[in-house]
Amino acid sequence: MVEKEYICIICPVSCDLSLTDDNGDLSVSGNTCKRGEIYAKNEYTKPVRMITTTVAISGSVHPLIPVISTDMVPKEKLKECINLLYNLQLQAPIKEGDIIVKNILDTGVDIIAAKSVKKL
Amino acid sequence: MREIELVIIGGGPAGLAAAVKAYELGLRDILIIERDIELGGILQQCIHDGFGLHRFGKQLSGSSYAQKFIDKVEEYNIPVYCNTMVIELTEDKKITAVSPQEGLLHIQAKSIILAMGCRERTRSQVRILGTRPAGVMTAGAVQRYINIEGWKTGNRAVILGSGDIGLIMARRMTLEGIFVEGVYEVMPNLGGLRRNKAQCLDDYNIPLHLATTVVSVHGKQRVDGVTVAKVGPDRMPIEGTERYIPCDLLVLSVGLIPENELSRNAGLELHPITKGPIVDTTMMSSVDGIFVAGNVGAVFDLVDYVSLTGEVAAQGALSYLRGQRTHSNSIEVIAGDNVSFIFPQNFYATKDHKDNEKATLYMRVKKTMKKVRLEVTCNGQIIATKKERFATPPEMLSIDIPVDKILDGQLKINVLE
Amino acid sequence: MDQESVKKSIAQILEEKFRPNNISFTLDDDGLICFEGSMQTWQAMVDFCHAVAKLPNIKHVVSHIKTPEKIYKEPVDKTPYLKLGIIDEVDVLIIGGGVIGCGVARELSKYDINILLVEKASDISEGTTKCNNGMIHSGYDTKPNSLKAKYGVKGNAMYSKWAEELGFHFNRTGSFVCGFNQEDADIIQGLYENGMKNQVPGIEIISGERAREIEPNINDKVIVALWTPTAGYVEPYEVALALAENAIENGTKILLNTEVFDVLQENGKVTGVLTNRGIIKTKVIINSAGLYADEIARMAKDEFYTIHPRRGTLGILDKENKGKLHTFVGKAPSNYTKGGGPQETPEGTLLIGPSAKEVADKEDLGVDRDDLGFILDKTMELTKNISPDSLITFFSGNRAATFEEDFIIEPSKKLKGFIHVAGIQSPGLASAPAISEEVMNLTIAELGHEVAEKVNYNANHVFTKPFRDCSNEEREQLIAQNPAYGKVICRCETVTEAEIINAIHGVIPATTMDAVKRRTRAGMGRCQSGFCGAKVLDLLSKELKINPAEVTLKGPNSEILTEQTRNFQRGDSL
Repeated sequence: MVEKEYICIICPVSCDLSLTDDNGDLSVSGNTCKRGEIYAKNEYTKPVRMITTTVAISGSVHPLIPVISTDMVPKEKLKECINLLYNLQLQAPIKEGDIIVKNILDTGVDIIAAKSVKKL
Repeated sequence: MREIELVIIGGGPAGLAAAVKAYELGLRDILIIERDIELGGILQQCIHDGFGLHRFGKQLSGSSYAQKFIDKVEEYNIPVYCNTMVIELTEDKKITAVSPQEGLLHIQAKSIILAMGCRERTRSQVRILGTRPAGVMTAGAVQRYINIEGWKTGNRAVILGSGDIGLIMARRMTLEGIFVEGVYEVMPNLGGLRRNKAQCLDDYNIPLHLATTVVSVHGKQRVDGVTVAKVGPDRMPIEGTERYIPCDLLVLSVGLIPENELSRNAGLELHPITKGPIVDTTMMSSVDGIFVAGNVGAVFDLVDYVSLTGEVAAQGALSYLRGQRTHSNSIEVIAGDNVSFIFPQNFYATKDHKDNEKATLYMRVKKTMKKVRLEVTCNGQIIATKKERFATPPEMLSIDIPVDKILDGQLKINVLE
Repeated sequence: MDQESVKKSIAQILEEKFRPNNISFTLDDDGLICFEGSMQTWQAMVDFCHAVAKLPNIKHVVSHIKTPEKIYKEPVDKTPYLKLGIIDEVDVLIIGGGVIGCGVARELSKYDINILLVEKASDISEGTTKCNNGMIHSGYDTKPNSLKAKYGVKGNAMYSKWAEELGFHFNRTGSFVCGFNQEDADIIQGLYENGMKNQVPGIEIISGERAREIEPNINDKVIVALWTPTAGYVEPYEVALALAENAIENGTKILLNTEVFDVLQENGKVTGVLTNRGIIKTKVIINSAGLYADEIARMAKDEFYTIHPRRGTLGILDKENKGKLHTFVGKAPSNYTKGGGPQETPEGTLLIGPSAKEVADKEDLGVDRDDLGFILDKTMELTKNISPDSLITFFSGNRAATFEEDFIIEPSKKLKGFIHVAGIQSPGLASAPAISEEVMNLTIAELGHEVAEKVNYNANHVFTKPFRDCSNEEREQLIAQNPAYGKVICRCETVTEAEIINAIHGVIPATTMDAVKRRTRAGMGRCQSGFCGAKVLDLLSKELKINPAEVTLKGPNSEILTEQTRNFQRGDSL
C-alpha cells in the first residue's frame, strides 16, 4: 500500500489531499469536491499542469502576447511545450481565444491567445 | 469645462467593471480615464491562470479576464481616454488630466469612481539595509519586464515575500531561465495560497524559507549578493543567523498599498489600516459623489472581489446621479473578534432598500484559524452568519448582509473559531 | 621642529590607547607627519591620526597605516593610456565634478581661458555632492579662524546671489540646535559664543516656546535652542548642475567618464594629466577630487593629507509631511561628528540625518541598522507629528574628511601650477561660493599672466520650469508645442516624457537612470521608480540609440536588464 499527500491546486481552497494506492485501488480523502479527487489521482498516475506563457508577436504595441492552454497538459511535456512556444513568431492582429497551436505535441490540448492584440 | 455624468479614473478590473455596469444600468455619459496606453491595468501583465473562478466559473489568465470587460466596453462604445493622467482632483469633482492627444483636459464630473488600484511597497518600507545597486526590483516591475517587454532582469534571483505575486514570479522567472535561489518570508507562515506553493515552488524545487528575511543588499553597481537572517517573533533578525547569498537580482513582493494620491488630493478621509478611503456599502467615500472601487479602497486578494466592488460603486453612482440617495444613516461596522479590518467601513442605511437586498462586507482576519463562523450582529442580534473552513490573514473573507433589516444601531462582525 | 618631543607624544598616545601596533613615521620641518605600518582596525587608525593631528607643531597628517578592513587596489597600468597620446590642451584642468569642481569651473569661466573639467563618473555630482543633506550652514559650530569658519560664513552670505543668478532652489529658512536639559544648554551657550566669534548674523539663544512659535513641530521637551536665521537649504546636485551648465554656457568643457591616472610634470611645473582617454596638457590643475583628492595629490608627488571617508546616512520622508517643518532642526551635539536632524527639502519632502561613521572604503555607501536607527530616533526625539513610517528611501554618502578636519585650499608648495582644494566636508556646500571665488583667484595667480575677462560672459542660468510647477495655462501651451508634455511618465512626481527627453539631451546629457532622476525627479517619489523605471529605461534606450540592455542605473556595470527573453524585433512598445 502506498500513501501520498498532495495540496490540491484546482482552486484557491488548496485542500490537503491524501491518496492511498491499495494494489491499484486508489482512494482519496481530504478533498471537498469531486475535482479534488480527480486531481489527486491524476497527480499520482499522470500529473498535469496548465500552460501560461507569452509568445513573440510583431506588428503590435507590445512584442509579446500572453497565451494559455485550453486544458492541462502532462507535466513531463510542459518544458517541451513551452520551448515550442518560445520559438514561435506571431503576427498581429490576434483575438483572444484564437488558437495559436492546435493539439500541442499531441496532448489533445490547444494553446490559445489570452488577449486580443490589435495591429498597429 | 466639459461636464460628464460619471468619470471613472482607472481602466483596470475595478474601473472596467464599473463602466460596464453603469452602462448596463442605463447610463450613457461615461468616461474612463486610463494612464497606460491600453485598458486592463495590472491584469495585462498577470498572464498566469487563476482569475475569474467566481464570475466566469473558470480559471482565466489575468489578461483574458481583462479582455472580457474590454470587449464589453468596446461593444457598448463607452468613451475611453488612454495615455491620460489625472493630475488634479478637487472635492467638488473637478478633474484636470493630461494626455498627448487631448492636451490639458478640464472636466466637471457629476460623479466619480476612483479605480486607480494599488502600488507595491518598496525596499525602504521594509527597511532593507545595505547598498543601492541595480538589480533590486519589485515583483511587479520584474513581471512587467518579463511578460510585457520581454526582458530578463537578472540571472540568479532571491525573492522576498511569499505572497501570491512572489510565488507566481518564482515560477515565471524559472520558466524564463532565471535561477531562483529561494523564496524568503519574514512571517512564520506562507503569505499566498498553498496551491501556489505547490505549483510554483514545489514543482520547480524552489526552497521556501519561512521566518527569514533579507537584511541587507550588497554590491556597488549591480547586486552581487544579499544577507538573509532568521527572524524572531518580533520579526527582527536574530543575530548569528545571517547567511550571505550570492545573486544578481533581489525581487520584492512585500505588500501592496492603495494608490491614494488623488484620494488625498480630493480630501477623502482615509482609513489607517486599509490606507484607502473610508467608504459606505454603496462605495461612496466621505465626499459626496466620489465613489471607490477595487484596490484603491482596500487591497483585495481576488480580482472577482475587485470587479464586484466596481459594480457596487457603479450602482451607487447611479443612485446618486438619479437623486435616489435619500437621507440616510451611515453606521460604522465595528471590527470585532479576530477581525483586523472591514471594507466597506460603514453601512449605508436607508428605508428605500428593495426587499431581500444584500450588501457585501469584506474583511481580513488577524490570525490563521480553522472552521470559523462569521457572525454579523446588529444591536447584539445576529443578522447574518457564514461558515468558512479556514481563514488566514492574507485572504479576504466576505459576507452578505440583508440591508433592509438595518436602520440604525450598532453593527459588528466577529470571526469565531 | 622638535622631533624628540613629537616622538614622545606619539609614543604616549600609542601606549595609552592603541596597543598593539606597529607604526613608524617621518616628520618634516613643516609639521607634516607621515605614518607607515599597520593597526588592528580602521576606527583605531582614524582615532590615532585625529589625536596626532591635535598635537602642537603638527600641521598635517598622512596615514599609510594598513588595517584589515581596507582593500587596496592594484595600481593601474598606465602604458596603454600613454599610447593614446595627447587628446587636448587647455589652460586649466579641474579634476572632479562635484559642487566644488563645478563652482570653480563656473567662476573661472568668466575669464578668457580654456577650461576643462574631468569627472570619472558618468555624471557630475556622483560623489559626495549627490548624498549631501543640502544644508547651507550658518557657521556657528566651526572652529574660529579655521578655513571652515572663514569660507563657511562668507559662502553662506553669497548663496542668495548664486541662487538668483543660477536659478536653483534656495531657501534661507534658519536652523535650530535644540536642547533638552541644562547640559545641552551649556553646549548651546558654547556654540553661541563660538558663533559670535565667527560673526554669524542674527545668532541668538531662544526658549523652547519661542522655538515652537517659529517651528511648531519642535518637540515639547525642547527647552532651549540656538537659532541662526541665515541657515538654509538647497538640492546639492541641482546646484552642481546649475554651476556646470552655466560653466558650459560660458565655454567650459566637461568630460565625463574620464579618470585621472597620473599628474604629469616637468621641472617642478605641471604639464598635464594622464587619463583613460589619453593625455591632456594643461598649465594649471585644480584638485577638487573630493574623496580621491589625496590620491591625486600623491600623483602630484605632494601628498600632505589623507582623506578618511566619514559616512553619513540620510533618509527621505514622504511629501505627505509637507509643511510640517520649515527649518533645520538639530540637536545639541554630544559628539562633534554626529550630524543633523530633520529639515524640509525644496520639494516638500522631509530629509533626515545624516549620521557619521568612519569607513575604510571610499565607495562604501551602505546603510546599516545603527545609522538608520540613529537618524530616525533623532527625528522622533526632536519633533512631533512626524511618523517614521513615511520613510520612502534612505542612502549614504561619504564626507571627504582630513585628519586635521579643516579645508585645504592652497597652491602646492612643491609643484607649480597645482592647486589643492581638499578636505571639503561640512560646511563645504555652504562654503562653495567662497571657495570657488578663492580658487578662481589662486588659479589666475598661478597662471602667472594677465587674463582678460570674457566680454560675453553670462552669469545667469535658467532651469526650465518643471511641468508640475507650471500653471494650467502654461501646461496647455507646453503640450500644444510638444505633445510629449502630455505624457506623464513618473506618476508620483508628475514628470512628463518631454522633460525626460530634454534631460537626456541636456547641456550635460543625462545618460543613466539616476542622472535622469536627479534632473527631473522621475523615480524619486514614493514608488521609487516601480512604475516609471521601465519607461525611463525605454526613453534612454531610444534617445541614446542604445540597446535597452545597455541602459544603466548609474554607469558601467549597473545595467538593469540582462537579455531579451524571445527573439523579437523591438517594436514601439510603451
